[in-house]
Amino acid sequence: MRATKGRRTHLIVSTRRWLIGGILFIAMLGVASPACAYDETGTGRACVECHGSDTPDGSESSGPHGGYTATSKKCATCHSAHKAPADGIVLLPAATVLATCQTCHDGTSGQGVYGVIKARTGVDPADPAEAGAAHRMLDTETDPITAIPGGDSTGGGSRPATFSGTAGGLTCSDCHSPHGSNVVDPFTGDRARSTTDTAGLDSASGFRSTRLLRQRPTSTDDSYASVTTYGSDWCGACHAGRLSWHELYNHPVEAATTYTGTGTAFTYESVARLTGVGVSTTELGTLGRNNFGYVMPDPRTDQQRDHEPICQQCHEDARHVGDVTLRTVDTTEVFDITALDGSAAGDNPRFQVFPHESDNDAFLIETDNDLCLNCHRQPSG
Amino acid sequence: MSRARVFTARQAFTALAIVLAVVLVALLVYLYFYLRDGGIPQPQATSSPGVESVWELYGPGEGDLPRFDGPMGVAASEDGRIYVTDSGNNRVCVFDTQGRFQSAFGSFGIAKPSQGATATYEPGSLNYPVGLDLDDEGNVYVASFYNDSIEVFDAEGMPLRRFPDPSTVVGRGGSGYGGTGIAVTDVAVHGDRVYATDAYQVVVFTREGEFVGQWGKPGAGAGDLDHPNGIAVSDDGQVVYVSDTNHGRVTAFTPAGEVLWQVGTIPEGMDDRTVGELQLPRGLAVDSDGSVLVADAFSFEIVRISAEGEVLARYGARGVESGQWNFANDVGVFRSFTLVADKGNGRLQMVRLTR
Repeated sequence: MRATKGRRTHLIVSTRRWLIGGILFIAMLGVASPACAYDETGTGRACVECHGSDTPDGSESSGPHGGYTATSKKCATCHSAHKAPADGIVLLPAATVLATCQTCHDGTSGQGVYGVIKARTGVDPADPAEAGAAHRMLDTETDPITAIPGGDSTGGGSRPATFSGTAGGLTCSDCHSPHGSNVVDPFTGDRARSTTDTAGLDSASGFRSTRLLRQRPTSTDDSYASVTTYGSDWCGACHAGRLSWHELYNHPVEAATTYTGTGTAFTYESVARLTGVGVSTTELGTLGRNNFGYVMPDPRTDQQRDHEPICQQCHEDARHVGDVTLRTVDTTEVFDITALDGSAAGDNPRFQVFPHESDNDAFLIETDNDLCLNCHRQPSG
Repeated sequence: MSRARVFTARQAFTALAIVLAVVLVALLVYLYFYLRDGGIPQPQATSSPGVESVWELYGPGEGDLPRFDGPMGVAASEDGRIYVTDSGNNRVCVFDTQGRFQSAFGSFGIAKPSQGATATYEPGSLNYPVGLDLDDEGNVYVASFYNDSIEVFDAEGMPLRRFPDPSTVVGRGGSGYGGTGIAVTDVAVHGDRVYATDAYQVVVFTREGEFVGQWGKPGAGAGDLDHPNGIAVSDDGQVVYVSDTNHGRVTAFTPAGEVLWQVGTIPEGMDDRTVGELQLPRGLAVDSDGSVLVADAFSFEIVRISAEGEVLARYGARGVESGQWNFANDVGVFRSFTLVADKGNGRLQMVRLTR
């Protein structure tokens, strides 16, 4: 309100209006200036306050592949209740099981699985038009792997199967248990990790691991029970029609489920292998970390009699074995790993991670007649 | 009836002028801090401990590949260019400090094909780029993991050179495919030295690619390494920090490879329940105060370690919200802000760590 007194104009303002104006002014500053803006916390706070932390803490056992108990908090390592990114299957951090595994298993932490196929060939394993590796994972809706070659235990042909990947296709968790539960007994294999193999490259004991292989891969043939020991029986849990004496395929393959001998069926950790270079004597031992188990001398030794080869004695990473005449191992064919990840070209075997990065046809350790002559004598007529 | 005060026009004008002056000063102060931070928006509080969010982005938002595919590395230049390795898309994306996409460079090319496959490498090709760093001229050094070499670009993304030759043996040998080259996951550039992580060692080159030396080996000893995924150098060049990923530890070395200190312990198998300071340390960076920030992918934290090897603080939590991470793979530093290659969430975050 104005009042005129003499030649001056005065502003007459009530105290109430002063107060209102002052409050409004301060409020204007608060809204207009980001420096003074009201801080609104992100969403999810209420959830955490009631449900507690879902973050694994340092007291948990290492990594997501074991050590689960009723009081552990490891589930949240991979599964996100209510807020899984990318619409992750079973609340996983990635959209598919394969992508989840590749979060870590992309090669940068070693034990790389699938990145190498595209990286070395340009072939995308997920592309149905491409061949990729023999045991490739697709885990996409496009042309998922839904049939098992030799999966028919009766006829020996392929068997349709529904796996746990996208659109029922084959994925990592069909063979591997990510939780480390109900897995096979540890076996030696050809690889060692420096974390536990403190003797490094020269370790004679090698490194034994379950590789998280399921005792019973998903979609196994109903005629097979869980397998606790890695060997032909594990392969036969899916590829049952490839084991001995089935209708279509009858190359001898030793498995506990088909063994008819008087002894104990051979497994990966117990095969008859040569005792050294240039010799024909055998001993029982692991197929892993040596090449002596890939050759059968002639005549067969007592340990080999009534026994047949296991799958892995033909199907493994490519390597050089076998003197074609003597069927022994010579000095150029011994197990020679100069780099723990097998990346040296001269290594024997020059592996990566069998079978996923193996690019040898049908995973045969050698090709052509060279393979046959590891066990069979040359024809005399 | 309320009391009324009488003001002259001059008094009213004076009061208004004072108020406007105060507002103007406040505005100038705000603009000062705003411009000092390169126009970066004000951080906002999050539910994540010790983390304020500035922005997050999921890719360039344009072009044939608008989204990241597993971003794994991040580094920032002093003039505010932020480089991100978009690993699954085999490229490097460039943003400004406000998160606006600027450019991208690199494309898929195979330098070392397996038997029967075809080499498609051309200068500037990348094959699963992981870590990266910048030199003082703004050139970008990118760890092209599956090509077993480091690709060097200028600040605009023009390819300059690569080293080592991925088809040759490096020093006493490396872990590249076929035993040649190096299985490089990260690089750190300081002065004329480029430090690169290999599967079990650190390999040192000059900026031009001349081999200088190497240290490290597989094993469980003090300086042994198992797939290190992060490397950084202190400002004075006297300490090389290595994120010894599979051993669950960070090791500080001299530039010659002598161990200064280690944080973390090697787990003994998957069922080891030893309380570990670090679970799966990946990328790391040196902060402005000399401390080291490490992305721990399995504890879902950014861990701050002092220059003397003491864990000082932990930031963040698992999740998809702002300020949370999902298998974060790398950290970078720009002034008082931290950049996080939030691989599992497919995004890059700029945050401020508050403690």
